Amino acid sequence: MPKQGQSVESCIIASIKKKGDSVKKGDIIFSYETDKASFEEESPVDGVVLECLYNEGDEVPVLTNVMAIGQPGEDVSALMAGSAAPAAAPAAEAPKAAEAPKAEAPAASAAPVAPAAPKAAPTGETFASPRARHLADKEALNLKDIAGSGPHGRIIERDVQAAVEARPKMTALAKEVARETGMQPTAGSGLAGTAKAADIKAVPNAVYGCDYEDKKLSNMRKIIAKSMHASLQNSAQLTHHLGADARRMMELRKKCKKAMEAGTLTANITLNDMVCYAVIKALKQYPNVNSHFLGESMRLFNKVHLGVAVDTDRGLMVPVVRNADDLSIVGLSNQLKTLAEACRKGGIDPDLLSPEAASFTVSNLGNYGVEIFTPVINLPQSAILGVNTIVPRPKDLGGGVYAFVPYIGLSLTYDHRALDGGEATRFLKQIAVEIENLQLDIF
Amino acid sequence: MPKSIYIDPKEVRKPGQIKIAPIPVMQYKKSIDDELKEGNFKKEDLVRIYRDMAFIREFETMLNLVKTTGGYNGVAYNNPGPAHLSAGQEAAAVGMAYMLDTDDFIFGSHRSHGEILAKGLRSIEILPDKELKKVMEEFWGGATLAVASKGFKGTTKELGIRFLIYGAIAEIFARTTGFNKGLGGSMHTFFTPFGIYPNNAIVGGSGSIAVGAALYKKVNRKKGIVVANLGDGAMARGPVLEGMTFASMDQFHTMWEGDMKGGLPVLFNIMDNQYAMGGQTRGETMGYGFAARLGAGFNPDAMHAERVDGYNPLAVIDAFRRKKALLEAKQGPCLLDVVTYRYSGHSPSDQSSYRTKEEIAAWEAEDCIIAYGKKLIAAGLAKQKDLDAIQTKVKDTIFEMYKLAIDEEISPRMDLVKDNELLGDMMFSNQSIDSLSTAKPDVNHPMEENPRVKSIAGKTRFYVDAEGKPVSKMKMYNIKDGIFEAIIDRFYKDASLVAYGEENREWGGAFAVYRGLTEALPPHRLFNSPIAEAAIIGTAIGYAMCGGRVIPEIMYCDFLGCCGDEIFNQLPKWQAMSGNILKMPVVVRVSVGSKYGAQHSQDWTSLCTHIPGLKVAFPVTPYDAKGLMNSALQGTDPVIFFESQRIYDKGEEFHEGGVPEGYYEIPFGEPDIKRQGKDVTFLTIGATLYRALQAADMLKERFGLEAEVIDARSMVPFNYEKVIESVKKTGRIIIAGDACARGSFLNDLAANITDLCFDYLDAAPVVLGSRNWITPCHELEEAFFPQPVWFLDAIHEKMMPLKDYVPTANLTAAQQIIRAKKGV
Repeated sequence: MPKQGQSVESCIIASIKKKGDSVKKGDIIFSYETDKASFEEESPVDGVVLECLYNEGDEVPVLTNVMAIGQPGEDVSALMAGSAAPAAAPAAEAPKAAEAPKAEAPAASAAPVAPAAPKAAPTGETFASPRARHLADKEALNLKDIAGSGPHGRIIERDVQAAVEARPKMTALAKEVARETGMQPTAGSGLAGTAKAADIKAVPNAVYGCDYEDKKLSNMRKIIAKSMHASLQNSAQLTHHLGADARRMMELRKKCKKAMEAGTLTANITLNDMVCYAVIKALKQYPNVNSHFLGESMRLFNKVHLGVAVDTDRGLMVPVVRNADDLSIVGLSNQLKTLAEACRKGGIDPDLLSPEAASFTVSNLGNYGVEIFTPVINLPQSAILGVNTIVPRPKDLGGGVYAFVPYIGLSLTYDHRALDGGEATRFLKQIAVEIENLQLDIF
Repeated sequence: MPKSIYIDPKEVRKPGQIKIAPIPVMQYKKSIDDELKEGNFKKEDLVRIYRDMAFIREFETMLNLVKTTGGYNGVAYNNPGPAHLSAGQEAAAVGMAYMLDTDDFIFGSHRSHGEILAKGLRSIEILPDKELKKVMEEFWGGATLAVASKGFKGTTKELGIRFLIYGAIAEIFARTTGFNKGLGGSMHTFFTPFGIYPNNAIVGGSGSIAVGAALYKKVNRKKGIVVANLGDGAMARGPVLEGMTFASMDQFHTMWEGDMKGGLPVLFNIMDNQYAMGGQTRGETMGYGFAARLGAGFNPDAMHAERVDGYNPLAVIDAFRRKKALLEAKQGPCLLDVVTYRYSGHSPSDQSSYRTKEEIAAWEAEDCIIAYGKKLIAAGLAKQKDLDAIQTKVKDTIFEMYKLAIDEEISPRMDLVKDNELLGDMMFSNQSIDSLSTAKPDVNHPMEENPRVKSIAGKTRFYVDAEGKPVSKMKMYNIKDGIFEAIIDRFYKDASLVAYGEENREWGGAFAVYRGLTEALPPHRLFNSPIAEAAIIGTAIGYAMCGGRVIPEIMYCDFLGCCGDEIFNQLPKWQAMSGNILKMPVVVRVSVGSKYGAQHSQDWTSLCTHIPGLKVAFPVTPYDAKGLMNSALQGTDPVIFFESQRIYDKGEEFHEGGVPEGYYEIPFGEPDIKRQGKDVTFLTIGATLYRALQAADMLKERFGLEAEVIDARSMVPFNYEKVIESVKKTGRIIIAGDACARGSFLNDLAANITDLCFDYLDAAPVVLGSRNWITPCHELEEAFFPQPVWFLDAIHEKMMPLKDYVPTANLTAAQQIIRAKKGV
């Protein structure tokens, strides 16, 4: 009889298979009720009901045997003797019953039938040594699920150790979850079969089960969380949005592709590379933006150290291209690709990930179709540029001619402590100008 | 058993008669004029005798009034403690003290207020003022003197009297300014600078202790004699008779050499007040007629016994003058039967239902103080008004000191509730002293010339040789050698060290631990004692009290019962009871028997651990035996040092490199891990260690389990830290030793370990002691003493069932209850 919740001590059988009934795995073998809800128990195996100890309407203590399913001819008397059924366990047989689980203890988990067989001491009370209790608590095991092999059926340390060994290795989080839910993993999906929190499956009925998973944060997640939160807490951020005519850039992109196909260009120059190239040029003209805001002072950089947001499995990373203003478009393109690759593979030099290493950051979500967003500044940098997707927009081409022109969206978040709106806007406009008039040194 | 004394059958079997030296009875006949003519006294001495008796009478009257009326001179005070008063016995006390110098020591009984006051008053009289002042100023850093001198302007001697009276009352009323910080009380108060050594609440307790003090004086060539003040009731006490036997040994005359030749300077002074509690010694509870008759039983001199009139101080002084001369001429011991009478009952609760008013009235009619006053007046040495003036001054002084002593502010008590560890910290002196004497030790030859030392030099100091081959028993350095090395080393370092016990000398102890010492030491440092355990330990206590180091030996542990008082009530108590004035550097060697049945194979370690104030050790390896004996002999505390006869010839199996040749100490209280393990801890006391190791082997071989084996080594003190660490690791512990399980120290360890390690335990600690039976004969011992297989049984039945193991013992709870019900 499963234990449906911490406070449930017994359940009432609503319907039940009879001795001799054949069952298939997954068949309902009995249904039962607590004072709050109804449940059904599925057969864990194919077989025949060899013994059934209860009838409809019987009240059954949790964690006691209800029936035995197996192949005809199998001896299930030991299992039955261990149950708390009053009629089936005359007093004289009690000592025998006490010995049975003791002898089986080391192989308890290998029982072929009725895996839910209770393993508690037959008296109904669980005695355990202080040391065993301590270990069970540490390992998040429920003493009720452990058979005692010590004197008088007492649960001793080795019984708990055996239970620990019989289940998959567990992560610390998995143990935490097991302790809270009272459930144990049956298999592990982690490294070398280690059970993770997710392996502790909620029971089918979620009323008493657990429908969420508490997952410990990775160190990286913790760092990101901290710095993002700090950024929004500790600066005065706001975002301006502006579009740039992308026709020139798209034309250059076509040219590049052709040059690649012709073999005259080795690097695959992307739109992002070009935007970055344009940003660098704009930054050279707006040194106040290429800066760190340090509270009492501004650090204005002579060179442009360009941070680029990279999405990885492990989380957002922002590597920096040092001295980006010295690079040709090919050099810049190569650098950006190398860094992104390093981030994804995990071999990135940690120094290049520091927010202090970059003087300005570009975060490009255009690939994902984002039309507008408000990037968060990597403090102590003064600003960050968000690059959006390209959308066609009507444009006055002059002479009363209007046409749909591809525009790339630019979202500049800046720290108002460092920059005023005018300067920020002028800078943002300058980026657009650079994009619209982009000259690549390769052509 | 000296070879020098030939037992000639012809001589021994010769017919004849024993002639007993005549014992004088009441032979003093002199008048005051006679004494003055002989120049025995100055006139003022004779008046001072009156004054001293008056002080005692008033002191006892004061206590009696406090006990019976709840106050004195209208100042209320409740004294719940004892008061065994000696009113009526003043002449005996003052007479006893008159001839004594401060170098002469007195020991007393429960009824000794009179004796300490008499001795104190006498010492104040004879000490030069400068010395007296120094003594008072240095005592408790001047705390007692500060109270006694409050508002006083007079002579140093008068101040000395106030100091004495105040120190004694404060002690009786349990004040920190008392002579023993209030820890001794009425029956124990004493003051060594005045030559007053402990009184004793055990009847006859001083009977052997005083003999030890005399032994100390003799062996260490110290001035002075020792007086044991005992009641006539104490003459029935075995330890007193043992003390007299010890004091009368022939060997002082026949074997002790040079300046050591001659009797002990000890005087057994019987304050014969006619009563032993409510029993009447003469005519009822004893058969000696006169207590003086006892002398005839101990040596041909009848101990120079005399029966003297204790109602005449001059008669007592006369006797003491003669006895002291005998003692100084090395003719001791002496015995005096000083006839006196106690007016009060045994204690204030005694209604004197056993005697008539007429009897008391008749003695009061001859009151020693009144009678002596009349003699002074008759001799023209004082007028009645002079005597009245003395009485007034005495009463004023005692009343003043009484008021100071009951003042809670001026005379505070220890606050043991607030300062919880105060008394605990006084139980041991814990000092480390190389030698308690500045003298050059008396030895017969340089240590390296000693035959035993030479023989040990040829032995291998580890149980296997360099190639790992077992060393033969004859060539192996063993436990006996370890003990011997520590002891001979100390004999050559500390001139005060003596050792004795039954057959300690030529035989070297029944187990030959001392073999070779006879060659090294003259008889006064190592000798055979009579078979008198109470005297062996009692004299050692007296010896140590006076400042010497001593190793008494109890040949079989079982015989501890013969010196129960000395081990339980005396040895452990005096350091704390003296307010830490006394040290007790006594190392009692006790050999635990084997193979010798019910009265020779018992392990009484637990009895000793139960007694607060004893250190208890039981080393079972040569390395531990030597190191712990060195520590014991370096210290200043009483140690019961157990040895096991079962393993005397064990070699060193544990200490890497074998037993060091040089000096080293193993601190008391540190158990030692003899084998590392992770599955179960065995903590053993005594020789059971080796059975535990066998059990550990079986456990490893048959079940792959590793036992950690810890040897307690010493039981008091005991450091639990190592054991706790072990139990945290293993979760299981068996505590084993050869003491009978019921009430044994093993249970104490188990209870404390349960307390200290509860959360780490996988099973309750199991105690494996001996069965609660007589020790059966050797052939049946297996069923009695814990055996290796018992450990496995305990693990299987009480801790974790072992696979396919068939236990031999029935350790079920039911069986445990049945045995307890049967009392076995």
